[in-house]
Amino acid sequence: MSTPLQLEFRLSQAQRDRLAVFADLLISGGAGLPAATEVDVAGAWIDRALGARPDLVETVVGVLAEEGEPAEVLARLRAQEPERFDAFAFIVAGAYLIHPRVRKLLGYPGGAPEPSPAFPDEADAYLEDGILDVVIERGPTYRPTPQTA
Amino acid sequence: MKTNNDVADVLIIGAGASGGVAAKHLAEEGFKVVVLEQGDWINQSDLPGLRPEYELLGSKAWHPNPNIRGNDTDYPIDLSESVAQVGMFNGVGGSTILYASCWCRAKPSDFRVRTLDGVADDWPISYEELVPYYEAVERDLGVSGAAGNPAYPAGYNPPLPAHPINGVGRKMAEGLNKLGWHWWPGYNSIPSQAHRRQKQCDRLGICMYGCPHGIKSSADVALFPDALAHGAKLITRARVAEITLNEKGLANGAVYIQEGQQYFQPAKVVIVGANGIGTPRLLLMSKSNRFPDGLANSSGLVGKRFMTHPFGTSVGLYEDDLGDFLGPAGEAIESMQFYETDASRGFVRGSKWHIIPAAARPLGMINRWTKGEGTADEEFWGEQFTSRMKDSIGHMIEWMVMPDDLPEETNYVTLDPVLTDSDGLPAAKVRYVTGENTRRLVDFNLERSLEAHAAAGATKAWVTSRNNPSWHNMGTCKMGDDPATSVVNGYGQAHDVPNLYVIDGSLFVTATGVNPTATICALAKRTATYIAKNARNQEVGA
Repeated sequence: MSTPLQLEFRLSQAQRDRLAVFADLLISGGAGLPAATEVDVAGAWIDRALGARPDLVETVVGVLAEEGEPAEVLARLRAQEPERFDAFAFIVAGAYLIHPRVRKLLGYPGGAPEPSPAFPDEADAYLEDGILDVVIERGPTYRPTPQTA
Repeated sequence: MKTNNDVADVLIIGAGASGGVAAKHLAEEGFKVVVLEQGDWINQSDLPGLRPEYELLGSKAWHPNPNIRGNDTDYPIDLSESVAQVGMFNGVGGSTILYASCWCRAKPSDFRVRTLDGVADDWPISYEELVPYYEAVERDLGVSGAAGNPAYPAGYNPPLPAHPINGVGRKMAEGLNKLGWHWWPGYNSIPSQAHRRQKQCDRLGICMYGCPHGIKSSADVALFPDALAHGAKLITRARVAEITLNEKGLANGAVYIQEGQQYFQPAKVVIVGANGIGTPRLLLMSKSNRFPDGLANSSGLVGKRFMTHPFGTSVGLYEDDLGDFLGPAGEAIESMQFYETDASRGFVRGSKWHIIPAAARPLGMINRWTKGEGTADEEFWGEQFTSRMKDSIGHMIEWMVMPDDLPEETNYVTLDPVLTDSDGLPAAKVRYVTGENTRRLVDFNLERSLEAHAAAGATKAWVTSRNNPSWHNMGTCKMGDDPATSVVNGYGQAHDVPNLYVIDGSLFVTATGVNPTATICALAKRTATYIAKNARNQEVGA
């Protein structure tokens, strides 16, 4: 797997503890997938996500600093500051969705996009029962112009 | 200001798709070609596609919108009066670095919109005239597709076989056949087999984040190596500030800025391929006593008639595992069922639809659900998040509905009076309002796309957007035969300045209902061929 992009900024442990609560509220787990804290979203994976989106550090830190219970904060942001909520939820989901265990459980073939060149006859295999024939048999569908007529 | 000693036979401004086509052709014909590009070469290992966080990187550092990306090689664009987001990439390869490689020829009717539909204008050339140039660039760019598409006149035979349509294409094809609707395996400018310098596509599925394996036919991969091998000189980080004129009113070169230093590159002929926003911006910046309103702008149309493709999207969920992790990301299949005008629909012109792999953008599922029509009010976060993702990844088909967009002079590119780029040059300002015809066209086609999802067996389907940014910038230096109503002629030659040519999407008379790169490249090839053949009669500026 590729080297994580480095981010000089680091969340404090207190911030990570609070982020974990927020993250589980957003991603509670189920359907065979873990909750956010089960894959350390508030630890190494938020660091990695913010390494790719350092511009969102301010959003994360700002939301964590909002006073109130996390559920109330999220509800308030959704109602009153939807763009800020979207940005916060986006980076939390981003941290979750790059975790290799999550990707595997979602069916991705690897931790990152992986080569899978087609076999020589693979394109034909999708068409070999004549699925395209009816389209051809209907004949031309383009609109004639003075040049084509 | 420093002056480069070598006078270029042809100076090309912009190292994107059109610049690549022209540079390759003219260098191979023996012309001394100089290309100025404001961005850098792209190191493929810097592209995000092999990293797990590629989608996060694509939402900022590699975003198509320069305002979001914010590189110093970009110029800002004031979009305060535009309902459309716009984009491009500034670097060797231009926007082909980030394009999905949908390779779509325009159709014969696109060139005769006034004749057939009584709106806009006919193009000064026909589909038939452009066919040899489509064929030439399709060979250069390793276009893969299936021959015999009845949506086009006979003879459309891409040089490489089509990619597999994959599970998503197959599933939707079965649905379209139930409806009796057209579909065809997708066309992609990505080699399905080893081709020239490029390997067979290995289907990473992340083409729109740049191909980290150098397989996708971006201009830096497929075109510029040939141009350089034949002696073309490519100068990067060279931001052109002005195209200059000699005393006869002929273009004699360009002033560019590189690391704060001004240079003058003299040239006999100047070609501009800086995209449908950058090209009018440069012409408008190139004011002179002879052209106080901007170079080659006696018609007043430089920058006017800006068109884009504010495309619609719909998705459907399917019980089957469709395995749509596989690329290419361009097109699995396409449909031209609703491309041609049917006046009973309440609008003219039409749309190409195509399917791309939705699973390649898992973070994109957030907007598909939370901004979708009918799903925006459903809970997505909390306990629902994981089940929504599980239902979606590998089980979703996404239609992209690419609408024709008709020109209106009230949609335009101009110079921003305040905003500047990092060299202090005026930024571009875009004013764009979606036309009523385009809105109706998108709405109609999205409704039909939901019917297609139903026929294909979707358990749930919804519209996810009616105004997606296409990053297609067109129409701002209209081509035509009449100097009073167009900027350039059918060869892209400026009516006002006979040794100045435009070769990018600015030329488009109408937007067509397909992705524009194929037509941009074919037009550039036609212009380059014209310049080479007529060099002896060409008036030159330096």
